[in-house]
Amino acid sequence: MRLRGWGGIALGIGIAAMAALPLVVRNAFAVDIFIRILLFAFIGTAWNLLGGYAKQLSLGHAAFFGLGAYTSTLLQLDFGISPWIGMAAGGVVGMLASLPIGWLCFRLRGPYFAIATIATAQVLMLIFLKFRDFAWGAEGTTIPNLGNAPLMMQFEGKTPYYYIVLCLLALALAITASVERSRIGYYLVAIGEDEDAAEAIGIDVARVKRNIYMISSFLTALAGTFYTQYIYFIDPQTAFNFSVSIEAALVSIVGGIGTLWGPLIGTMLLETTSALLQSWLGNSIGGVQLTVYSLILMSVILWKPTGIMGYVSELTQRRRSRAKGS
Amino acid sequence: MAQAVINGLLIGGVYALVSIGVTLIFGVVKIVNFAQGEFVMIGMYISFFLFTRFGMDPLVSLLVSMPVLFVIGILVQHFLIRRVLGLNDLPQIFLTFALSLLILNLALMLFTANYRTVHTSYSDEVLHWGGLIVPVAKLIAFVVAMLLSGGLWAFLHATDLGKAMRAASQNRDVAQLMGINPDRVFAVALGIALALAGAAGSLLMPFYPAYPLVGQVFVLMAFVAVVLGTLGNVIGALVASLLMGVAESLGIQFIGADSGLIVVFLLLLTTLALRPSGLAGGRRR
Repeated sequence: MRLRGWGGIALGIGIAAMAALPLVVRNAFAVDIFIRILLFAFIGTAWNLLGGYAKQLSLGHAAFFGLGAYTSTLLQLDFGISPWIGMAAGGVVGMLASLPIGWLCFRLRGPYFAIATIATAQVLMLIFLKFRDFAWGAEGTTIPNLGNAPLMMQFEGKTPYYYIVLCLLALALAITASVERSRIGYYLVAIGEDEDAAEAIGIDVARVKRNIYMISSFLTALAGTFYTQYIYFIDPQTAFNFSVSIEAALVSIVGGIGTLWGPLIGTMLLETTSALLQSWLGNSIGGVQLTVYSLILMSVILWKPTGIMGYVSELTQRRRSRAKGS
Repeated sequence: MAQAVINGLLIGGVYALVSIGVTLIFGVVKIVNFAQGEFVMIGMYISFFLFTRFGMDPLVSLLVSMPVLFVIGILVQHFLIRRVLGLNDLPQIFLTFALSLLILNLALMLFTANYRTVHTSYSDEVLHWGGLIVPVAKLIAFVVAMLLSGGLWAFLHATDLGKAMRAASQNRDVAQLMGINPDRVFAVALGIALALAGAAGSLLMPFYPAYPLVGQVFVLMAFVAVVLGTLGNVIGALVASLLMGVAESLGIQFIGADSGLIVVFLLLLTTLALRPSGLAGGRRR
C-alpha cells in the first residue's frame, strides 16, 4: 500500500490536524474524549493485527491490558521505577504472557478460541482479586500524584497524555502498515481465509499466529500502563475489564476488520456516539452506552460485515468503474 | 465433602439445562449462542415479576417462561441467526455476542443492577438425609431439570421432528435431501434451547437472585461443560454439567467463597492443554 497523490496529502493533513487539535481545543472534557478515542483506536489497532488480519477473534485482550497496567504500577510503587520503563517492561510481560495463552487457546478455533481467551482474562482478574498481599487485592490502589513529573509519566493538564497516546497509535499504525506490506501480512490474510489451506501451501501457521499474537499483546499492554497513569488508579476490575476486550474487537469490526484505518474510524464513530449519549442522558442510566454499541454492532454484522471501510472501498470502486465507463 | 458434592450436583442440574441448550444449538444450527445466559436471565425476571405481581410460584411460572422463550427462540432464529448461516466465523460469533450485550444492557436500563429475590414457602426448607442437608428448592430444581432433560432425550429419539433434528445435526446436506426442512428444524431447535434456558431461570428463582449479569455465570459454565462433554452431544453436556457443579462446589469448599469460577476456568484451560483434539479439534466444513 503505497501512498500516492491524494492519499498522501490526506494523510499529511490528517496528521497535522491530529497534532494541532489540543492547541485549538482547550476544553478538558473534549480533550478527554479525544484521548479515549486515540486510546481505544490504539487497542483496536493492536487487536486488529491478530483478530482482523488472521481472523483469530480474541475476546481476552483485557488480559494484556491488565498485565501492562499492573507491571508498571508494581514497578513504580514497589521499586520506584519510572512508568516509562514500566511501560516497556509491561509490554514485555504482555508479550511473554501471550506465549502460554496462545499455546492453550490456539488449539481451538472460531467461537471456542474466543471463549478460551475470555477465560484466560477472567482467570487473571480473579487471581489479582484473590491474592491481596501481592497486588492490593480487590480494593486496588491509587497512584500517588507527584504533580508535574514528566519523568514519572505524570503531567498537569491533559494535553501531554494526548500526545503520548497519539504516538502510541502512530506506532501501532506504522507496525500494521509494515505488516500489511510484508510477507507476514499475506500469511496472516491467508490464515484468516482458511487455516488448513494456509498450512497446506506451506505457511507455518502456528508460528505466524504466535508471532502476531506477541506483537498484538505487547501493544495492548502499553495501553494498560498508559490508562493507569492517566486515571491514577488501578484495581483488577478496571485493569482486566471485559469491556476492554469487547471494545477492542468492536471498534475494529465496526470500522472495518483487517484494514489499516478501520479501528480508528470505528472508535471515532463509537466513542463520539457514546460521548453524545452521555451529554444528553448523563451518566445516570447504566447500560445505555453498551446498548447502543450492541445495536451498532448487530447492524454492521447483518448489513455490512466488512464495516465502514468496506463500505468506503465499495463506493470508491463504484465511482472508479463509473469514471471508466463514461 | 459429601455435602459439597450434593450441593454441586443439585446446581449442576440447572447448569445442565443451559448447557444442553447450547449444545443443541451448536449441534443442529452450528452456532455458538453467546446469549444463552441472557435467556436464563429473562426466565428469572419473568418468574420474579409473576411472583411479585400475582404471587405466582416460580414452579408455576415455569409454564409461562418456557413457552415465552420458545417463541423468542423462533424469532431469534428467523430474524437474526438465519441471516448469518453459511457465513464465516466473524458474523456468527459476534451476532449472538451482540445479542447478549443488547439484552444484558437493556435489562440494566429497565431493571437496574439490583438483586431481586423471590421467597417461596420452600425457599428455606431443607431435608435431612443421613447427616446431609438437602435444600428443598434446589432438589426440586434438580428433579425438574432432569425430567426436562429426559424429556428432550425422548423427544430427540422418539419423534419424527426429534429424529429430523438429530439427522440435521449429523449431516445437514443429506438431511435436506431426505426432505427435512432445515428452517423449521433450526427454528424448533432454537425454541427448545431457549425454553430450557427459561426453565433454568424459573427453577433458579426460589434460591438464586436475579440481576442483569446473572446469565454470564451460567453461560460460561455451559461453554465449559459443552467443551468438556464434546460439542453437540446432549448426554455429554449433561454429565459434564453435573461434574462442573461438583467441581465448583468443591472449589468453594476448599479454596474460598469466590473461587468457584476460578476452578471452572482452570478446568477448561487444563482440559484444553491435555486433550485438545477431542474437543473442538474436528472442525466443521
